[in-house]
Amino acid sequence: MIRDAIRLPTPAGSVVKIWSRNFLQFRKSWIANLFWIIVEPIFFLLAIGYGVGSFIPDIENVSYVEFFFPALLCVSSMMVSFFEGTYGSFSKLTYQKTYSTMLLAPIDSKHIVMGELLWCASKGTFSALGVSLVASIFGLMNGLMIVPALIVIFTSSFLFAGLGMLVTSYIRNYDGIIYPTSGIIVPMSLFSGTYFPLEHIPYGLKYVAYALPLTHSVAVVRGLFLESPHWSWLAHLAVLIILGLIVAKIAIRRIDQKLIK
Amino acid sequence: MTTKTVVEAKGLTKKHADKTVVNSIQFEVYQGECFGILGPNGAGKSSTMKMMYGSNQITAGDLYILGLNMKQSARQIKSRIGVIPQSDGLDTDFTVLENLLLYASFHGIDRVQASHRADDLLRLMRLDEYSTSPVENLSAGMRRRLAIARGMINQPEVLFLDEPTVGLDPQARTWIWSFLKKIKEEMGTVVMTTHYMEEAEQICDRVAIMDKGRIIAIGKPSELVYNHIGSQVVEFDVKDSDVNYYLNRLSTNNFHYQVIRNQVNVHLSADQDAKNVLNIISGRKVTMRTPTLSDVFLKLAGHDLRDEPL
Repeated sequence: MIRDAIRLPTPAGSVVKIWSRNFLQFRKSWIANLFWIIVEPIFFLLAIGYGVGSFIPDIENVSYVEFFFPALLCVSSMMVSFFEGTYGSFSKLTYQKTYSTMLLAPIDSKHIVMGELLWCASKGTFSALGVSLVASIFGLMNGLMIVPALIVIFTSSFLFAGLGMLVTSYIRNYDGIIYPTSGIIVPMSLFSGTYFPLEHIPYGLKYVAYALPLTHSVAVVRGLFLESPHWSWLAHLAVLIILGLIVAKIAIRRIDQKLIK
Repeated sequence: MTTKTVVEAKGLTKKHADKTVVNSIQFEVYQGECFGILGPNGAGKSSTMKMMYGSNQITAGDLYILGLNMKQSARQIKSRIGVIPQSDGLDTDFTVLENLLLYASFHGIDRVQASHRADDLLRLMRLDEYSTSPVENLSAGMRRRLAIARGMINQPEVLFLDEPTVGLDPQARTWIWSFLKKIKEEMGTVVMTTHYMEEAEQICDRVAIMDKGRIIAIGKPSELVYNHIGSQVVEFDVKDSDVNYYLNRLSTNNFHYQVIRNQVNVHLSADQDAKNVLNIISGRKVTMRTPTLSDVFLKLAGHDLRDEPL
């Protein structure tokens, strides 16, 4: 029974087909995508990492840009997967009726949503990968650590994609996306140990930061780049995985109810 | 000769929240026929249709498509049927050809075969010149044709069309009518909904007329017309003050009629003489015509204005 409760639709044929549809579309509009998911974060790297960072001698024994870069990967992949799960999925659910048409073929709604979630997570990961490649020119890449880092980023992107599709399942129009974006996602991008260490948040409010999922992915990805392995990483990863599964499960059920009335 | 039953609905019911939109209907569709579901907006046609192609949940009752139970075998059923929804549902991120290939991939059709079938269907639908056009550039008629091609990519055993000609100009509509007649001959079974009675008379072998979630008549269009109306209709206009005078005279002479605002339709059976009606209503301007399914519908469902939302 517990297995049934946590089991997600497996990435079988149908899920792959949905993912492929999105990948084809991504390829068709790759220039616009490139700007959004890679060029924009690079501007942040230049302005914040190098610009603001030049006024900061060192932070936790590394240069500011080294401190900031792992967080930037987490933030930009979060933004990409969340927006793909909201604006992208909401269009396909409503105006474009893409999901309704997929449903006419022998594909279940749970496979559609699972394919979408994996796609959104992949796109978030592509963002981190692209930014990493550009950053390697600046000498910011720490060798092979990018591989485990991207796995962590994929895991957290899956969670943010799920949150995005959960939002999609509640809203009636695009305006509905603004509240969770400005109220949760953007603050999360600022206060999750991204731009400054959690220790600098006063009055124990730093513990509140641990309620933000991004805090956990930043902790692990930064750790992978700058520290030696630590048991706490497993705890952070567990939070991301468990939350990701729960949110995906709810999103799948809610979108199913919207699709098959 | 035994006819195979392609669709079998028993006590089929659909509720949206507390509203019953399809109320325990029963019907069968046989192999090789074109079956039409008629009725005004809000009659429950689309909900019935959506249950048949698995996009609406069945609240109660049984529905078998191609001998399979919809509640248990939706995926198997969907792989053997073709669906053309009312809203076309084309993927505007892709071109005409890509739409067909993508949908073929959802059906698990391999690439080579999919591309052969797509080429054939685009030719059949007169869309071959537009295969690389973005879907957004197509006219409404072309979009509908592409949606039909998409619905046929898996070589379905039965085709479901929800309001296939809504929103199309007369040329596009005529084209689709003749296409559906042809496709029925070649491919087999067609199930469609429409609120154009004329369309149903032209292309359906049998129709079910729905109103307020129920089937109020079912049969061949010609039989429905003959049994419910007769062989001729005499129409004339009257002033409100004169209505009762004429109706009394028609009744005493055993004529059936229906009053629609200030127009009286007299329904004549084969053994009744139109001359007698003309004598009764002498002096008025009359129109004589053959009866249609619209007359059947107006007789069975009344003629009050239906504008409640779906």
